[in-house]
Amino acid sequence: MRLISRIAGGCVMLFVDGLFFDVFWVMVTLVAYFAARFLYRRYPRWWLSPLLIAPLLVLGLALATHVGYGAYFHATHWLMLALGPATVAFALPIYEHRAVIRRHWPVLAIGVVVGSSIAMGSAWGLATVFGLSDALRLSLLPRSMSMPFALIVADDIGGIPDLTAVFVVVTAVIGVAMGEILLKWLPLTSSLARGSLFGMGAHGAGVAKATEIGGEEGSIAGLVMILSGVANVLAAPLVVFLLR
Amino acid sequence: MGHFPLVRFVHRIVQHSRVAQIVVLVGVWGLGDLATHVLNLPVPGAIVGLALMLLLLGTGLLRPSSVQGGARLLIGEMLLFFVPAVLAVLDHVDWLGSLGMKLFATVLLGTLFVMLGTALAVDLSYRWWVRHAVR
Repeated sequence: MRLISRIAGGCVMLFVDGLFFDVFWVMVTLVAYFAARFLYRRYPRWWLSPLLIAPLLVLGLALATHVGYGAYFHATHWLMLALGPATVAFALPIYEHRAVIRRHWPVLAIGVVVGSSIAMGSAWGLATVFGLSDALRLSLLPRSMSMPFALIVADDIGGIPDLTAVFVVVTAVIGVAMGEILLKWLPLTSSLARGSLFGMGAHGAGVAKATEIGGEEGSIAGLVMILSGVANVLAAPLVVFLLR
Repeated sequence: MGHFPLVRFVHRIVQHSRVAQIVVLVGVWGLGDLATHVLNLPVPGAIVGLALMLLLLGTGLLRPSSVQGGARLLIGEMLLFFVPAVLAVLDHVDWLGSLGMKLFATVLLGTLFVMLGTALAVDLSYRWWVRHAVR
């Protein structure tokens, strides 16, 4: 195993700055992504979430071949450009469920404001209690948002977007498991509450889970996730002001 | 507009090809980004693009079916696009110790509070709304 990793590492080192290196790591990322998705389709357990497995597969190979984050990110960062059009794509669920928004906007607004405030407040408070550094604390603040929004907000408030990305993923994986447990204990009467629990607490992965519970829960979760993301991006200057 | 052959041709492609739909979404994102830079808006281009897309859909200039498939694809495969950022953990081997436990506890407890608070706030306000708004 050590020999193989050294040979592989040697091969990769030969091409460190070359096109081969970039193409190789993009291929690794693609293969890891599709493998993780395939695995989850066969064994849908929360701890086998592609959110966890896809990065772990890439991580394993990067550690084995001694490739640093800087080099990996340099090779693959352009994949992240697609987050922009994906954000634009969020307009579609908003438009499709505009009747739900028109009917329930006060309740949705309460959910978004309360949820976002608790998300940022709890991250700030807990990070302070645990004595975490300022950079970590700021990067933890947007962790409950959907990835494209979280990265924008992290950048706006002076956090480190890459660290936020890690916290966002961990939040989603934990959130899906926790949401299922909470749903059994909380006396929630409305699909509105069940949906917003998942949309606010576990963003994208939560929306997928909520959709399994019910169509209405799924669309509410999606709406809450998108609306809170947009609201947080727009409110980022306010957060910066409060942090001063 | 449907009378022009070119418009009809483009329309047909966009109705049937998810790739063409993604091109439309990329185009709207580009316009949003351009608007942010040219008008010096304090809002990021992706958000301006989202607003622009809502406007296009709301005014009927763009049918939902012209972007639906592409939008679902982009949102559904979003994980692929942010894997590069998540690999930032590579630079943080120091998180394996007590620091990692603290970070984990922060995320775990924080998520618990968010879920409890959001669900209860929404459920209570929904019950209030049902009692007072609907007769």
